[in-house]
Amino acid sequence: MAAIHAAGLTKRYGETVALDGLDLSVDEGEVYGYLGPNGAGKTTTIRLLLGLHRPTAGRAELFGIDAWGDPETAHRRVAYVAGEPFLWPSLTSAETLAFLARLHGGIDVPYRDRLVERFQLDTRKKVRALSKGNRQKVQLIAALATRADLLLLDEPTSGLDPLMEMAFRESVREAKDRGQTIFLSSHILSEVEALCDRVGILRSGKLVDEGTLEQLRHLRAQTVEVTFAGPTPELPPLPGVQTVHAGASTLRFEVSGSIGPLVAALAEHPVVTLTSREPSLEEIFLHHYDGSDGDVGG
Amino acid sequence: MSAAERAAPAPALVRLTFRDARIRTLAFAYVFAAYSYIQPVGYRHAYPTRSSRLAFAGSLGDNKGLRLFYGEPHDLLTVSGYTAWRVGGTLAIAAAAFGLLAALRALRTEEDTGRAEIVLAGVVGRRTWFGSAMAAVAAGVVVLWLGEFAGFVLGGLPAGGSAYLALATASVIPVCVGVGAVASQLAPTRRVALELGGAVVALLFLLRVIADTSTGLGWLRWATPLGWAEELRPFAGPQPLVLLLPISATVLLLAGADRIAARRDIGTGILPARDSAEPRLRLLSSPTAQALRSGSGVLAVWVGGVAAFAYILGAVSKSISPADVSARMQKEIAKLGTGAITTPTGYLAFVFVFFILAASLFACAQVGTARQEEAEQRLETLLALPVDRRRWLGGRLLLAAAAVAVVSLTSGLFAWAGAASGGARISLPRMLEAGANALPVALLFLGIAALAYAAAPRAGVGVAYLLVTVAFLWQLVGALLGAPGWLVDLTPFRHVGLVPTQSFRTDAAIAMLALGAVVALAAIEMFRRRDLVGS
Repeated sequence: MAAIHAAGLTKRYGETVALDGLDLSVDEGEVYGYLGPNGAGKTTTIRLLLGLHRPTAGRAELFGIDAWGDPETAHRRVAYVAGEPFLWPSLTSAETLAFLARLHGGIDVPYRDRLVERFQLDTRKKVRALSKGNRQKVQLIAALATRADLLLLDEPTSGLDPLMEMAFRESVREAKDRGQTIFLSSHILSEVEALCDRVGILRSGKLVDEGTLEQLRHLRAQTVEVTFAGPTPELPPLPGVQTVHAGASTLRFEVSGSIGPLVAALAEHPVVTLTSREPSLEEIFLHHYDGSDGDVGG
Repeated sequence: MSAAERAAPAPALVRLTFRDARIRTLAFAYVFAAYSYIQPVGYRHAYPTRSSRLAFAGSLGDNKGLRLFYGEPHDLLTVSGYTAWRVGGTLAIAAAAFGLLAALRALRTEEDTGRAEIVLAGVVGRRTWFGSAMAAVAAGVVVLWLGEFAGFVLGGLPAGGSAYLALATASVIPVCVGVGAVASQLAPTRRVALELGGAVVALLFLLRVIADTSTGLGWLRWATPLGWAEELRPFAGPQPLVLLLPISATVLLLAGADRIAARRDIGTGILPARDSAEPRLRLLSSPTAQALRSGSGVLAVWVGGVAAFAYILGAVSKSISPADVSARMQKEIAKLGTGAITTPTGYLAFVFVFFILAASLFACAQVGTARQEEAEQRLETLLALPVDRRRWLGGRLLLAAAAVAVVSLTSGLFAWAGAASGGARISLPRMLEAGANALPVALLFLGIAALAYAAAPRAGVGVAYLLVTVAFLWQLVGALLGAPGWLVDLTPFRHVGLVPTQSFRTDAAIAMLALGAVVALAAIEMFRRRDLVGS
């Protein structure tokens, strides 16, 4: 059974279409990266998955339970971290953790204590006196300590420093090793690249690309840079090869598909170095947002 | 470049701050206008002849119980004199509350939310920021003055005197703004600032009450802005020089606040904030329990305030002499919605109508805190957990109902204690009944407020406050204005027996409670079906 299943999920706020017919399936045990810039519909998706907002059309299910129809049952297996930590200012961190634990109906207490240590949280401080990063830690610890089957994380590391970002990644890997499912909405691409098995890219409320990193890379062009001994030669037009940069003695190509024809054409020329690299997630991501459907860099 | 971009920062800040508070300002202005209009119209209707006015003045002039509410009367024989008396005490209290809240909102809330930091990180200096906030509040004061002035003029009072009378009421506001401004500098959070400022305003009110009800202590009136408003004597030998007092007090308070504001760290107060504490884990087992925990301070203030006020009312109830007031006269007073107020029980029956109003407003405030939980998105945190929406709102409403019951019974209990100490013989069960008498109306309004909130999350609670106010005023004047009976019967206040003079109206109570329950259930169901809405 899928941990998350959305079919034709649509949400309109007045005239604005925030989410437009989303089809999404995340298997149990998977770490799914949900990418998109601000306003693409990431938070709307999570609000619909949690049954906080009602779908205009379509439906969302968590472990086969309708997210809008029976949220309480679904939430027993879910823990959520919001992008903005909204907590009770007059409670201390310890009180907040205790409150959230009781509402969830039990947590792994020794693990929570370990997390408090790992994230270096001062639990005696009141929430109103905490910085945004520290409030974010309270939320993260509360969610991770539930050991819930599904973690819905909405830009969970906003406000965390690099050390805490490492602690976060460690905790997500632990959760993954225990077989928990993680839905990570983010626009921090390195984080998604480091953690996720599968990635979906959202644009204006629509899923425009989805797959494992390998699959996404395969679909996109790779970059080949060649240095020559002497001036750059004229190459004949080759299928799937595009010259994106021409210097005095270097050429840069974007190649989709095999680089065989390019290598064959280069063989007649005095090549000094040839480097090839796969596109980064950033390049894949930007490709979907550069406004055209052409090749990267165009 | 658009006009807004070209504008100097100070006027832009003033406009923004004024805009931010516009709904509250307009609501107050509306109530001021309505209340000011009702007084002259009602008096003219109830006491058309000089002889009826003489009898009225004779029976009420020395009534301490009424002085407590309205202040010292100077002239009860003319429409304008009566209006000045009725308006002077009551609206001045509302004006004081407005001033305090407006200052806290423009200063302390801005700091608590971090918005002040954003403004001060720009080209705006602290002095400009402080001055702009105060200028915006001052613009609000002008709106209130206009509202009150318009009410009088529409009610047929002369324009010059009306302007002066409205000025007397409005003179209280700047002083209380000053109190709020200083409290905003001292307190580290809005809550503490509200407690500090609220305590000062309560003290100022208490001074006025003592001055107006105790023989030989009249000079105390000079110690409080609420007393200065009386000493301005609108329509009764005006003393405009008294205006120098509120003006100089305001200047002093604002200058003090400005000095502190220029020196301290932004986002903090002079008083230390307790930011760390050992965990206390009681009342964290459910959202309802936690709501009780975080709301217990406010509830304690309400209970304390109601207890003190009810005790004073009980204590002065004996001072009403059952003098030779004709039956016809009593009937005329009853027309004003005041009942037969010449006996202790009659007086208490009359003042308890105001407790019903207070309990109803308190019920709306409870729904307001629920809305705040949603507006500040903590509700999202809750509902992402296995927390049932219906149970969340249902728990909140039950908690609110219990709090309303506590406040209502407190009023009865302490009015009885006060009456007993003053030597009036009224039985405890009878006074508890008078307290409980507020419950059906207040709980009906609790249900209505919940429905308004469920249907319109942003505007709902404001609408509920407005409905309570309109229903209350309509009960006072509906009949006076000659409205048809069924129209007057629309207000729940109309269906309340004036306990302890009259008996508790069980049939009406059951009907109101049933209606309130149905409306509340509809609210819960409607809330289940809608999106959560942030601020």
